This record gives sequence, structure tokens and C-alpha cells, in this order.
Amino acid sequence: MSLRERYGGMTRAEQGVSLFVCGFTALLVVALLTGGLTPSYTLYLAGLTGMYVLLSLGLNAQWGYTGLINFSVAAFFGLGAYGAALVTASNSPLAIPGGVLVGLVLAVVGSAVVATAIAIPTLRLRADYLAIASLGLAEVVRQIVLNQRDWTNGSGGLRGIPDVFAGWPVLGPLPGELPGLQFAEYAVGIPGLFRIRVLGFTLGEPFWTDLLNFVAVVVFVAAVYLLLRRVHRSPWGRVLRTIRSDEELASALGKDTYAFKLQSFVLGSVVMALGGVFYAYLVAYVDPGDLEPINTFYVWIAVILGGSGSNRGAMFGGFVVVAIREGTRFASDILPARLPVDVPVLVDVYGAIVSDFGSTRLLIVGLLIVLVMRLRPEGVLPPQRELLWPSALEETDE
Amino acid sequence: MALLELLANGLVFSSIIVLASIGLSLVYSIADFANFAHGDTMAVGAYAALLAFGVIGGVGPTVLALPVGFFLSLAVGGAVAALVAVITHVLVYEPLEVDSIGLLITSIGVAFVYRAIIQLRFGSNPVEFGIPLQRPIDALVPLGIRITVHEIAIVASAAILVVGLHLLLQYTDLGRKMRATADNPSLARVAGIRTRRIEWWTWIIGAGLAGVGGGFLGLYNQLSPRMGFDILLVVFAAVILGGIGSVYGAMAGGLLIGVINQLMPAISNVAVALPLVPNVGPAYADTVAFLIMVAVLLVRPSGIAGGETT
Amino acid sequence: MSDALTTGANREKDDPVLEVEGLRKRFGGLVATDDASFAVERGEITALIGPNGAGKSTIFNLVSGFYEPDAGTVRVDGTDVTGKQPHEIADEGLVRTFQTPRKLEGMTVREAMLVGAGDQPGESFLKLFTDAAGVAAAERANVEAAHEMLERFEIGHLATQPATDLSGGQMKLVELARAMLAEPELLLLDEPVAGVNPTLANTLSDHIARLNDDGVTVCLIEHDMEFVMNLADPVIVLDRGSVLVEGSPDAVRADDRVIDAYLGGESA
Repeated sequence: MSLRERYGGMTRAEQGVSLFVCGFTALLVVALLTGGLTPSYTLYLAGLTGMYVLLSLGLNAQWGYTGLINFSVAAFFGLGAYGAALVTASNSPLAIPGGVLVGLVLAVVGSAVVATAIAIPTLRLRADYLAIASLGLAEVVRQIVLNQRDWTNGSGGLRGIPDVFAGWPVLGPLPGELPGLQFAEYAVGIPGLFRIRVLGFTLGEPFWTDLLNFVAVVVFVAAVYLLLRRVHRSPWGRVLRTIRSDEELASALGKDTYAFKLQSFVLGSVVMALGGVFYAYLVAYVDPGDLEPINTFYVWIAVILGGSGSNRGAMFGGFVVVAIREGTRFASDILPARLPVDVPVLVDVYGAIVSDFGSTRLLIVGLLIVLVMRLRPEGVLPPQRELLWPSALEETDE
Repeated sequence: MALLELLANGLVFSSIIVLASIGLSLVYSIADFANFAHGDTMAVGAYAALLAFGVIGGVGPTVLALPVGFFLSLAVGGAVAALVAVITHVLVYEPLEVDSIGLLITSIGVAFVYRAIIQLRFGSNPVEFGIPLQRPIDALVPLGIRITVHEIAIVASAAILVVGLHLLLQYTDLGRKMRATADNPSLARVAGIRTRRIEWWTWIIGAGLAGVGGGFLGLYNQLSPRMGFDILLVVFAAVILGGIGSVYGAMAGGLLIGVINQLMPAISNVAVALPLVPNVGPAYADTVAFLIMVAVLLVRPSGIAGGETT
Repeated sequence: MSDALTTGANREKDDPVLEVEGLRKRFGGLVATDDASFAVERGEITALIGPNGAGKSTIFNLVSGFYEPDAGTVRVDGTDVTGKQPHEIADEGLVRTFQTPRKLEGMTVREAMLVGAGDQPGESFLKLFTDAAGVAAAERANVEAAHEMLERFEIGHLATQPATDLSGGQMKLVELARAMLAEPELLLLDEPVAGVNPTLANTLSDHIARLNDDGVTVCLIEHDMEFVMNLADPVIVLDRGSVLVEGSPDAVRADDRVIDAYLGGESA
């Protein structure tokens, strides 16, 4: 299928999303070439996107598939991040021996245990009880991380988390062995109109290390996506989708809805913890601030904006959230502190917004939640019309 | 004995929680969703009271070491919180075509908008009313109770409001209709009760009480944009303990959770003596409220009031 | 036998699929089901009727496990299922429908049908990875069975339509077809023709009669008397939470106590 046909076969929403993703990527490439972004920062952004995609996929497996409201995304993310960091960080009070894999196992097991513990008392009740209890859980996990200094180093956080592949055979020393690539600076432009300088940077060992990390997250995200896509279109996923619409119907048809909800909740929580593990390696530093409730609701935005129940939507949502997070940071750097025109009230409002981008982000997140629920509660990319086990249709009508 | 002091203190904190729980429970049963913006509605009331206090704070004589202007400011705070809640109801919740879970998620967005606006206007750092702190009442100190006149004002005001609400619910036409609507909205509509008007009053009363509670919370601690969100979990715990939808249950739940919350230091003294319990300090007061809530959900999800509505 | 009328339920049945004994349920001060006892004979269509508030829906919810009884027992095919979860009771062969099922968002009709099939290997998370071939084979068989079932109910053309775009009557047909995919011993139908036009009600009546001819035992509650009297035999009349009489449609129709119960129910 040619690109043009493919585009023509999309819904309008899909076209819009494709254009947005392409445009956004193009912007990043231009910024990279012109020196607006350093190569390392670009890779960091890409990695961050991957992490939010993981978190969104995890929440989608709970809320999107089954209708479970989890307001402790940040807690499961934190369990993953701290699980990884406690094993590998240079100032870890616990200094658990082991490497990346031990941290990974710790994160997966820890999040599964905590998810089960919170699910057991709440999943038999109405959906809003889980919402309330999970918001509480998030706060409790944050309090423990903040106050158990002898375990987590408290508000000081955990530093010195090494690269993912540090100490591994082949992959560990690889970045140091790769040649440094030097890109000469060029000036391009149209004579008489404009000239800009492009390129002019060297890609050395740090870049290769970052690139390797990035490849790792891409592999990770792809694996999780494929796994989730498989289970979503399976009979197992079909029961979850039935529970979301009408739980009584599912149980009248002989489905043990409690068991299915539990599985869905644990699955999603483990995926979130994987996102946390990756985050710890991406920024090499974790602290209790990462467990703030706002981080939970970034992920909620991603899922409901992308389209609850849609894995593609969750991936798109991850993109948008990074655009909000880093976009506002970027805007705070380039916007003038004072409004150039002097309109009385507007100047004050503008001043407040520009001087406090943390609050502005909060405002944007809040408004986005309200607007999506008002204007497009099904999200930008709602799930496909029919989800069937792919090979099941070969002998029937299609 | 410090226990008595903690109980007295617990009662003060309880008064604030009770004011907040009532509104959360009312909205839960009549508007039919868990309103996660309720805590931030408290903050709206507190900051509105702060603004009003700057203008009319000095007005009038002093009652319980607080100028009458302070009580007026609290009334303004409650009124603003009520107004904001009604506007939100009309602009945001009413036009939505989603179920109660959708409303719940939307209320998170509303909470963030409230808090962001407060932060943009007042900054993120804590502020105070600037009323001189009181020393504990001398006459009570020998009894081991260290409670200030301000705190007595909080308890007394909350008691007056709760009694007022009780009279309203039991003896007025509006109150009876509210209870009927909470009990069974569709039946109430069939019976000719105009539920839209009842919803408005629910928001006005619920958010008004929360706003006043927020003002007291600001006097008791400080004001900060997160003050309401931080206390929301405790309020939810109180409402669940009392049984969702039951106003009187919410009052009882609020009282109990508030006292337990303030008893944490005493509880932690006991806990230290136990093996395997790592230094459970006062920092874990919220954690304990949470654990109580989870225990209630496990054992008796309909709450201590036992599923009787309103 | 079919002209006979018994006071209370006829408990002398040869091969009952469902036996309900002394069932009691109260909500607050209201007794919704009060010492209700009856049996459903294999191979018959049994109707539960009664004035509003007689406790029909409560009994359905008690029998299918959605409410827990305060007292009494429920046996399906001789197995005591009292107090069990709905899905456990469904596993015993009792499948119920709902008066107004919620629409399954984002599913096609055949997808919504497939939920009905029991014992699917693909509903085990592990087997999706350890036994992909088995999952695919079962799914293929189920898709085929779903298509066949839709054809039997003459709605095969709807298979790939969104499940949310159906008319009320079509939804009732899909519900019935889906319940049949679960291969029930006993089918509990909660107001199968509520809100359905008379023509479709007749179609539904024919379908239910045909299922019964094929050996499916049916127990239903319904307000539409014409529908009940044409389809069911025996008819069990409930009043104020317990069984008043049981008998053939004609016998029930002629009984004064039944008429009194309905009149009393109307004026209450």
C-alpha cells in the first residue's frame, strides 16, 4: 500500500494524529539540526516519550480495558523507579546487591504485590471505591518514601544510577568503542533572505550511551505494546471489555469478574512499574517528587485524550504529555517576562502565567481533563470497531 | 496526661473534617459522584476568606479572641466557595454526557484548575491570616488540656453549623426534599421534586460548609494551595467510614477520623514498643486514616452507619 | 395435569432443574421475598407472574446469585448453589438475561455474542502465550458457532454491525442468542419482551418456543399477559413475596385469588 493510499484510508482523527506526530518529529529534527536541541537532549525527550507511553499503556490496561480507576499511577511508577534505584544507585541505603535485572525483578514483584493488596478490598465494590483507595495508596507510598530515610534516603533522593548496560558484556563497553562522529558546521539559507548554521556537533561516547538506552526503551515499548495488543484482542481482553460496559452481564455469563479485574489491575501496575524502572535509568536520579499526584494525572490525560481502551491512543497520548511537559518548560525559556503590549489586567495575568510555569502546567492539565470529558469523552483515537483473535477469522467470512 | 490534650486537639481537627465531610457526602448522594474537587473547594473558601479578611478583618468587637470581621470573612469564604461550586456545576458538570465515573474524572480536572488559579494568584508558599497566635487557656492547663480560645471558636462554630444543617434537613421543606432526592433521585423526580433546584442547593450547602471549613483549617494551620487536596484523603476516609450518602454518618465518621488522626503521636508511642513496626511517626497520620478506610472497606463497605441513607 | 391448580407451588415434579425452598430476602424494613418455594421442571417453560412488587425480580436476582438470600436454599440440577457468586451459578448451567442490558461499547454484534461461550481457553491469560494454537482453534469454532446461532435467530446479517446500533428488539434477540451460546441447562429470561413491539414479541415468542422444543428449559418473568399465557405452562403466581398458586394458564386465569392479588396490587 502506498503512503498516499494509507493516508486516504484513515479516519480524520487518524489523519490528524499522523500529521501531529510527523510534525512534532520534524520539529525535533529541525531543532536538532539547527542546534536548538542537543543530540543528548533529543534522545532524552524520545526516552521520556517512551516512558510515558509505557505508563499510558499500563493505565489503559486498567481503565481502558476494564474500567478500573487507578489514581496511583505515580505510586506504581515510583515502585519501579525506586526498585531499580535501590539496587543500583551509588547512595542507596539498602545497597541490595545485583544489577539491572535484580532491580527489574524487584520492581515487577513489588508492584504486583502492592497492586494485589489494594485490589483485594476494593475490586468487589463499586468502581469509585478503587478511585478513592488508590489515591490514598499513592499518598501512603509517597509518605513512606519520604519518611523512611533509612530505606530510601528520603527527600535527598537516590543518585548515581549507572547506565542500563554498564558492566554488561559487549553492550557495556560498546559506546566507548564506537568512533566519535564529527559533523562539520554548515551554513544554509537563501542568499539575501536568511542564513542559519546547521550541524556542528560531535557524537561521542555519551551520545552512544544515550542512544543505546534509547534503543533499549524502544525495544521495551515495542514488546509491551505487542503483548498488550495480543491480550486485548483475545477472549481474555473481550471479557475485560464486557466488564467495563456491564459487569453484571459478564458474571451472568459465567465470568469470574473479580479474578479478571484483579489480573487486569496487576498487569497494568506491572507495566507502570516497568516505566518507572526505565525512568530511573533515563535520568539517573529519583526523588520523592517523582511520586507527586500530578504525575498520575499526566498519564490520565494521555489515556483519556488518546482514547480509553485504545493502545494506539495511549501511545499518542504519551507523545502529547511530553509535548505539554517539555513544551511549557521550553516556552518558559523563550517567552518574554512582560507582555509587550500594555493592557491593564492582561499584563498581570500574563506575568503570573509566565513566572510560574509549574502552576500553568497544572492549569493546562486540569483544563485538558475537563475539555476532553466535555468535547470528546471517547478520546481522539477510540479503539477499533472490532477486536478479534487474528487467526480466528481465516476460515469464516473475511 | 497528654492523651486528654490529644483528644481535645482531635476534636478541633474533627470539627474541620466534619464540615468538609458533610458536603462531600451530600454531593456524593445527590449529584451522584465522588467529587475529587471538594478539597480544593475548601482551599477556594480559605483564600476567599483571606482576601475578605484583608478588607473587613478589623471590623467589630472581638469574640473568642477573634474579631467579628474574621467570622464575616469566613462567611464570605463559604459564599465564594458555594458560588464557585454552582458555577462549576452549571458550566462543567451539567452539560457533560458521561456517567458518574466520567464526572469523577472530570472533577480531578476541576480540582487542578482551582488549585492552579490559587497558585497563580497567591503563590505556592503557605500564608497566614496574621491573627496573633493564642496561648492555651490557663485555666485548663492544669487539667492537661492545652487548647486555645481560637480552637474553641472552631469547635463552637462547627457545632452551630452542624446543628443548623440538622434543623434544615429535618424541619424544612428543602431539607426533606434533599433527603428524598438523596434516597432515590428518580423517585423524587416522579414525586414532583424539582431535582435541579435540589442539586443547586446541594452544591451551595456542601461547598459553603467546605469553604468555611477551609477557612478554619487556614486558622488552625496555614493556608496553602494544596491544603484541601492534602486533606481530601482524610475526608474521604471519614465519608466512607460513615457510609457514603449518609450526612449523619459523615458527621460521625469525620469526628472519629479527626480524633484518630490527632491521636497518632500517642499511637506511635505504643507502636514503638512493638517489634517490627518501624518508627511510625506523626508523618504517617494520613497513612493511618488510609488503613482505617481500607479496613472499613474490607469489613463493612456500607460504613458504620450501615447503609441507611441520609 | 395441566388443568390442575395448586395452592402454593406444585412441588411434586419428576425432574426439577431448579428447586427453590423457603427463600427470604428483606431490604431494610421491606420484605421483598417471603418464604418463597417452587420448582421448575426440566423441559418446560415456567412463567413467574404477579402484580408489581410481588417480588419477581428479587427472586430472579436471588436465584442467579446477584442477591444473597437471608434464608432458604436454591438448587440447580440437584446442586446447592445458595449464596454462590453469579458466575459460579452460571457454571452450574443457569444462565440469565437482563431486562435492560447495557450496550457493549465498541464491540460488533458477533464480538458481543462471543462473550457468551463458556470454557474458552483464550480467557486464561497464560494460555494466550503457552497455547496460542489451542486459543485460535477454540476462537475459530466459537466465531462459527456465533454466526450459526445468529442465523438461527434470523439476525445473521447483523454479525458485523456495531452492537450499540441495534433496535430494542434486535438487542433482545442478540441477548437470547448469546445466552444460548453458553449452552444453559436452564434459561432465566427477565422480561424478554419488555419495550418490544407486538410483531417482534411474537417472533421472540416463536424463538423461545422453538428453543424449548429443542430441549431447553426456560423460566421467565414478564408483564405481558398475552405473551405469558400463549407461551408458558405452568404459570406460577407470586404475591407479596411468596407463591400464591401454580397451574396451567387457563386455570390461573380463572382463579379468584389471582384476580384479587392483581386488583390489590393495582390499588396499593
